[in-house]
Amino acid sequence: MTEEQITMNTDVLVIGGGLTGLQTAAEVAQNGYRVNLIDAADLPQIPDAVSANDRIDVMTETCLIGATGVAGNFNVQLKQNDQVVQKQVGAMVLATDLRKQPLHDVYGLALSDTVITQSSLDALLADNPAALAGRTVAFVVGLAQESNPVVLERVLRAILEIQKIDGCTVYVYTGNLKVAADGLERLYKAGRDQGATYFKLTERPTISSNGASVAFHDPVLRRDIEIAPDLLVIEEALAADDMTAQLAQTLRIDASAGNFLQIDNVHRYPVATNREGIYVVGGARDVMPVPVARADVGNVALRIKQLLGKGETRVDARAVLDTGKCTFCLTCFRCCPHGAIYWAAENKPVISPVACQACGICASECPMDAIQIVDFSDDDILAKVNERATSAGVEPTIVAFCCQNSAFEAAQMAATFNMRMPAGLRLVKVPCAGKVDIEYILSAFAAGADGVMVVSCHTGNCKSERGNTYAGWRVAEAQRMLEEAGMNKDRLVFATVASNMAHEFSKICVDLEAKIREL
Amino acid sequence: MATDSKKVMVIGGGIAGLTAAWELSQFDIDVELIEKSCFLGGHAIQFCCKATDECVVCGACSVEDMLKKVINQPRIHVHLATQVASITRNGAFQVQLEKSAAPAGSAGVLTGYSKNNQPLIVTTDPAQADAASKDAVAWNDLGTSGRLDVDAVVLASGFQPFDARAKGTYGYQKFPNVVTGLDLERIKRTQGAIVRPSDGQAPKKIAFIQCVGSRDERLGNLWCSHVCCPYALRMAQDIKHADPEAQITVFYMDIQNTNKNFPLFYDKCRADMTFVRNIPVDVYPEDGDRLRMRFLDDADGTALNDTFDMIVLSIGIAPGADNAALAEAMEIELNADGFLAAADAQTKTATSQNGVFLAGTVEGPRTIAASIAHAGQAASDVINHLGVSHD
Repeated sequence: MTEEQITMNTDVLVIGGGLTGLQTAAEVAQNGYRVNLIDAADLPQIPDAVSANDRIDVMTETCLIGATGVAGNFNVQLKQNDQVVQKQVGAMVLATDLRKQPLHDVYGLALSDTVITQSSLDALLADNPAALAGRTVAFVVGLAQESNPVVLERVLRAILEIQKIDGCTVYVYTGNLKVAADGLERLYKAGRDQGATYFKLTERPTISSNGASVAFHDPVLRRDIEIAPDLLVIEEALAADDMTAQLAQTLRIDASAGNFLQIDNVHRYPVATNREGIYVVGGARDVMPVPVARADVGNVALRIKQLLGKGETRVDARAVLDTGKCTFCLTCFRCCPHGAIYWAAENKPVISPVACQACGICASECPMDAIQIVDFSDDDILAKVNERATSAGVEPTIVAFCCQNSAFEAAQMAATFNMRMPAGLRLVKVPCAGKVDIEYILSAFAAGADGVMVVSCHTGNCKSERGNTYAGWRVAEAQRMLEEAGMNKDRLVFATVASNMAHEFSKICVDLEAKIREL
Repeated sequence: MATDSKKVMVIGGGIAGLTAAWELSQFDIDVELIEKSCFLGGHAIQFCCKATDECVVCGACSVEDMLKKVINQPRIHVHLATQVASITRNGAFQVQLEKSAAPAGSAGVLTGYSKNNQPLIVTTDPAQADAASKDAVAWNDLGTSGRLDVDAVVLASGFQPFDARAKGTYGYQKFPNVVTGLDLERIKRTQGAIVRPSDGQAPKKIAFIQCVGSRDERLGNLWCSHVCCPYALRMAQDIKHADPEAQITVFYMDIQNTNKNFPLFYDKCRADMTFVRNIPVDVYPEDGDRLRMRFLDDADGTALNDTFDMIVLSIGIAPGADNAALAEAMEIELNADGFLAAADAQTKTATSQNGVFLAGTVEGPRTIAASIAHAGQAASDVINHLGVSHD
């Protein structure tokens, strides 16, 4: 195995100067790294921990407009006003804040003196709470959106503030109360104990255009209930910052619905994106309370320390490119889910050993077979396939290509617990189901296998995100080829399991064995 | 930097303790991982995969991942069936370890899910040793006693599942087909499918009762457990996926979010199941080990009776049984709910004792994902505390 020594740039770019971005900058700087903190807006209040820290360079009114390279060696283009600056950084942290989105439109209301947003109420409570004396205040929350604990906490805290003012009455019209965060049930109880009345509805109430009448039908009391508040407070949604869609595109980050910069994949928790060296914290990845975002800060500090160390790292090459075979078709660059392949100055693709996760998707997709994965080369795997297909000596022989992250683990567990397995079952471990070539499948049949399985992770659970999708496509194609050759396509099975699904793995194998016996 | 002299004790081998231990080991810190039971993985390792056509992001498989990393990491020294007898402080911590007692009611043989992690089968009763596998390990052969000196402590001793017997009218452990959410996870995990305990048959009509032991003023449990709505809805979807004819009713107060995809997921749940915003109080036995409940109809408030093949109590996260003793030994405080108190409401890892940190549900209810994040944060704080840097 070839070990490579790689110099890592130890500067870190933090994008977003909100609370989480500032905390990230301070924590990363404390670990000895230089930080460039940028924000698209002007930042009026920068705490001393950041402004007085000579390792942190703050650039306001600055956007990221381009980025090339990989972890340890990114080249970023930053635009401040009309000037573009280039910087080299080793890692990036996406720390954009949440954006508040008023939802009065959903209720069919226009904002006015009596119909106000949660933000306006919060400002009023900070500036002139006495103005609310004697008023009846009604909140609508969780009826124009599936709410969340951050939205609810704002309502609950405002209620407690209102209850400090003389003569106020509080009503809350709510869908599901999202109390799944620390302390919210107690805040909810405190408000109720002081007289706040909650109406839990499944549909929006009927609200007059000036907000002066709020009515609904109570199924338990079996009557219409109408209340005339002086002030109606409309909930706000919390959305990802406007710039996240652009960031996702510029940085080739897989974004979720709503343009949060992390998809729901359990292998990415807490702060990873699909790309090594690009991390995501706080409101850039999800709606979350402050303590959860604070946990992200600790985690990202660890990840950066581990990645950049003292500016040098030794890594084993994981994928090897034969530049003689490469025709520069860009297939690998496009299909790499980890953005680990970049174009070097001499116009050839380079696979970064730091960013590469060795899933093998590029190796299987490369039309020239120019890429080999260390420990899982085509020759190694084909030799294994041949050995497995011919050595069982039991009919039917089944060759199962198992993703090492899921199916291979499940198979081991099934063996440990003595679950039923076909006597002729032979496993071929692959780094990811995305590494299974059609050629491997056909070779297994050619070598005498009676059945072949390709078993991958569930959709949405692939460490390399799309390895299972590629595997599914290739199996479908191989099935078509089997049929053309006059074989029954049911001898080839594609299935998905998780690493803890020993029972299910056993069942898939046993079912295939039974099917083959039938044929 | 002098990293080789640093040693940290992590108490608790659940997902938070495993994560903290692994993160610390990545910075060349030696970790003494103390686990009272004879398996690693805590509660979360007992959970089943709830994927339908796609992953539903429950995180159960990420516990397997972490377990595998930990047991292959030579810097982490695992002490099973071990607990802390005493701890004193003189700059660093001097810890006295002792063997822990075998759990009561285990019928002599314990089997674990920690696949490659020896031991898999443990006998607590020597008379049962022959009946168990020849690979079985005797409880008495496990456990560490002796002294340890450590530079910092991470408390990750987790939670205890709410004891559903405290809500006596549900008849838990009286009626065989009244099960908890945790029982259901174990049933699916060990048998590969959801079946009724009374007859091993797949239930056709199932009720989930939410907030059992959580958000309960009478019990003084003034917290939402965060995890019960997600696990109940995921499990319910899993049941519908396996058997589209299954009828599922969810009794709830307020449905909590699962993950970013929640609005779509919830729409699907509402299309596939019945939701009743009403928590029933009593369960009555019927013929065939079926169970009847009375509740109010959502639409018109009339009293309804319905009979189910199985009732699932969505039990929540209660403070760990050892929390008070742990707080006393470490000279830190409990919070109002009986979890260990963090020194700062926003940071939530540091305690009032310098060098003692919290990770996971010992501090309050958390999902698997949130426990992993909290444990990573705790590890980061420990590393800063010890002044360790990575080369």
